[in-house]
Formats: sequence, C-alpha cells, structure tokens
Amino acid sequence: MFGYKKTDGSDIYPWPVVIFIILSILSILFLAPTVGILLSSIKTTKDIALGELWTIPSELYFGNYVEVLDNPAVGQYFINTLLVTVPATFASIVLGSLAGYVFAKLPFRGSEILFLILVSGMFFPPQVILIPLFRLFNSIGLIDTLWPIFLVHTALGIPICSLLMRNFFSTIPAEVREAAILDGANEWQILTRIALPLSLSALAVLATLQFTWIWNDFLWPLIFTQSDEKRTIMIGIVNLRGQYTVAWGVQGALSLVASLPTIIIFLFFQRYFIKGMTMGAVKG
Amino acid sequence: MRGPSWSPRNKAGMERDRRFWRIVLLTPPLLVFAVLIVWPLLSSFYYSFTNWNGFSSNYQFVGLSNFQKIWTDRLFFQATINTIIWMVSALLLPTLLGLVLALLLDSKVRGRKFFKTIFYLPICLSAIVVGQIWIWIYQPNWGLLNTLIEEITGDRFRYAWLAKPDSALFSVIIAWSWQQTGLSMVIYLAGLTAIPSEILESSASEGATTWKRIWYIIIPLLVSSTTVVIALSLINSLKGFDILYVMTGGGPFNSSDTLAMHMYNESFKKYLIGYGSSISVVLFLIALIIIGIYFRQLRKVDQIYG
Repeated sequence: MFGYKKTDGSDIYPWPVVIFIILSILSILFLAPTVGILLSSIKTTKDIALGELWTIPSELYFGNYVEVLDNPAVGQYFINTLLVTVPATFASIVLGSLAGYVFAKLPFRGSEILFLILVSGMFFPPQVILIPLFRLFNSIGLIDTLWPIFLVHTALGIPICSLLMRNFFSTIPAEVREAAILDGANEWQILTRIALPLSLSALAVLATLQFTWIWNDFLWPLIFTQSDEKRTIMIGIVNLRGQYTVAWGVQGALSLVASLPTIIIFLFFQRYFIKGMTMGAVKG
Repeated sequence: MRGPSWSPRNKAGMERDRRFWRIVLLTPPLLVFAVLIVWPLLSSFYYSFTNWNGFSSNYQFVGLSNFQKIWTDRLFFQATINTIIWMVSALLLPTLLGLVLALLLDSKVRGRKFFKTIFYLPICLSAIVVGQIWIWIYQPNWGLLNTLIEEITGDRFRYAWLAKPDSALFSVIIAWSWQQTGLSMVIYLAGLTAIPSEILESSASEGATTWKRIWYIIIPLLVSSTTVVIALSLINSLKGFDILYVMTGGGPFNSSDTLAMHMYNESFKKYLIGYGSSISVVLFLIALIIIGIYFRQLRKVDQIYG
C-alpha cells in the first residue's frame, strides 16, 4: 500500500512513504467538506439536529432526494440554467474563435494592442459593468428574462476564448494555410474546415471551462432576474433555503443535485479543465 | 472553388481579401465586447459623477462629490481594510498550500492522479455550494469544527464562527482558500514539469540535500508560475462576492464587508447608483494596477528566462 514506483523522481525526493502519508491526511481534510454534504443528504433532519451529520449513517435515507426531485421549482431552475449555459457557452466559443483566428493568422497593425485590451477584459471585477448593463436591459424590457444572462456571459467569455483559440491557431503551420489558399479556399473555409477541426482539444477545454463558470454563476442571475420562474439553479438553492430552513438534509441534497452537472463534466474532462486553467493563466 | 480574384500572384487582391475577412470575422466579437463590456465600463465612470438613484429620469451631475463621500464613508473604510485583509490572506494561504501540494505531488508518489483530483475538485463547485458546505462546518451546535473541538477538549463548545465580528471574515477566507488551493497547485505543477530534469539531477549528484534543492533551485525557477498565481489570486479575490454573500452577507455589523459587497449594497439595497458606481470605479482602478504589474512582471520574467 505504501509502495512507490521507482521512477526518475524517486532519487530527487526521498521518503515516498512519508509523502504518501502526508498527502493521504491532507486529502482526507480536503475531502471532508464535500463528504459532509453527501452525508447530510442521506440523513433525516432529526439525526442532523442531534449532531449526527458527520458520522457514517447506519441506514440510507432517500427522503431528501425525493423531496428535491418532487419540487417543480427545482426542475424549472434546471431548465433555466441549461437555457443560459449551453447557448452562452456555444456563442462565446464561436465569437472567440473568430477573433482568435484573426489575431493568429491575419494580424494587422495594432492587432497586438487590440488583443491585449480584449484579453484584459478577463481580469476586471464584474461590478464595474453591472449598473450600466442593468440600466440597458431594463430600458429594453429584458429584465427578468434569461436574455441578459445569456448575452453577458457570451460577452464575458470572449476574452478567454479569444486567448486560447489564438494560441491554438498559432500552432497550425503556415504551410497548411498557404496550401489551402493555393487550392482556392477563402479564410472562412480555412477557419471552419481546417483550423477548427484541428483544434478540437482547445474547443473541449473552453467548453468545459465556460460551462462550469456559467452554470455556477450567481451574480448575474441575481441582478437580472426577479421572479422565481426565471431564476437559475444557484439562486434557486439560496431561495429554497428559506423554504427548508432547518431541513438541512434537503439543502444538502439540493446542493449536490445542483453541482452534479459540473462534477460530472469535471471528472470526465478533468484533463481539459486543468489545461484550460493553466493555459488561460499564462500569457500567450 | 477557384474564384477569378483568387490568383495567388495577385498581391493587391490578396491583401484586399485579407482586409475583407479581418472585418467580417472580427466585427461580431468586437461588437459584442464593445456593447456589453467597454460601453458599460465607460458608463460607470459617467454615473460615478452623478447622483442617479436608478429610477428617476432626472439626475444631476455632482462632480467629484461621490468620491469625496468615499473619503468620509466609515463603511467604505471598513470595506477597504477588509478587502486588503481578504486579498492578502486569500493570496498567502492558497499559494503556499498549493506550492506545498505541488512539490509533494511532483515526487511521483503513488496515486498522484487521485490526490490531484481530490485537491482540485472544489474548483468545479460553485461558490454557493462551497458556502453552504462551510456554513455547516461552522454551525455552532452540530458543525464539524465545534464537534471536533468538543471531541478533543471534552468540553462543551458552541462558538458561532460566522456570527461573531471577530471571526466572520477569517472563517470565509478559510472556505475560499479551500476552494482556490487547487488552482495554484496546478499552475505550480505545470511550472514544475517545465524545469529540465538535468538541472535537478546535476544538483543531486553534487550532493545538494532535498531542502536545499527545493529552496535554492526549484522555488527560484518557479518565479513565473508564482507571478501568475499571485495575479490570479489577487484578481479572483477582488471579484470575490458570491461566497461572502451567502456565508455572511457582509455581516455581522459589516465586519466582513468587502468593496464588491459594499458596492452591491449601496447600489441595489440603498439605490445609490451614482455612489455605487464610484465604488466600482475604485475597484476598477485597483484591478488596473494589479493587471499592469502582472503584465510588466510577466514580460520581465520572459526576458530573464527567455
């Protein structure tokens, strides 16, 4: 159990057993909060109130999940969140690919500066654009619809999508493009038939990142929606907390159900997720 | 497919085509970005000089009085102090822990993929869910923290971590750090894989101890990763709103108010849109300074390490 593989790392770092034990302890500490939510969701409110939340249950109780799935509001929150997350993820990647292609393959005088301005949009606190956007959408009657959330997430996704797509398109050899031009292809055809199919892994990175961020977002739906029918899942969790004040088990089940899409995506596309995080962080 | 204007010898025609496609491809993203990001940014600057309340159509231009108010606003002062505390601790805790985890994982220990997933998992959870989890850890009657303390000391312990001004902000910082550590860990891991193994091997053959090697060789070589981690955590913590909103709402008695939180309260609770805008302008300027330093450092690092 405490063995280690004899690799080139082993002579650089001594005591693999000690390191393994330290990592095991740390990972238990790190996992404890998440496990707590899982445990709460399979316990009755009474058990939790008696201080039994953090113990391994003797029997499984599924009443909390029944309660969550029976609640029609939860289904509506899910639909709303999907209706925002999927189109906004798609739209931001499309727009980012267009910009990224120009910055990578059709540079022009001043395009470096323009690119820098675009990318720095990634770093600004969203509070700075909040009030004017609220006013804009209010004046055209889109407050309390899903439209503003979709539009804002599309726009906010452009910086990171342009950055990653530009970096990826830059790695496509110039000869590939030149050959296509000699064959009579135009830029649109090169982008859609050559560059994008060669960039599937970058697209996967962005899809994973964008989906997770938009799904988990709280601020924009909080500002742009008012009625319960238009709320997204993260706002829904907070709202339902009022309804289930002391029903901690239901709250736990609710949090878990709401996190399920991003957890599944994370576990399946972990590689892409981590790649995106590290690539987005370092300069292109 | 071969169009008449597509003779590759036709240089001028090609340049005209390039210009055409630049405009066609670049217009949609730039238009969306300009309308939904740049224009609102500039508008915020404008509103920050007005006394608009969000409803009435007539409002006055009040010059710098919002910014003067900032100077005398006790809550703004408190929020600034808290933002600094929040940013510094949100910088130190996840960065140091992430570095330690990355160094441990870099030892090619068995099960490193599994460990990496565990440390990274919190990143994919929303701030709302993370807040929920940690509210329960700090819950006075049956929370994990108090339960553990009771187990260890054997005495009854019912401290309300999030409801006491002394501990509220720091309790949220711990929750935030728990979520953010995975991010600095992967950036450091990426930096570690970029270190050539010959450097490490030659230092090992020259008899450097592990500690010396980490301290004098590995950590200095991670300087560009550190720049990235520092900038990201500063920017992320400046944006930090959701987790404070759900865990404390800025309370108790504004003891965990940050600038982002204060801006939300002034704008959407008190409807002082003009004043809220001026707070957001201050936030923007802080972000701008950090980004400036970040890009400059990054360029410097590039020059040193090629």
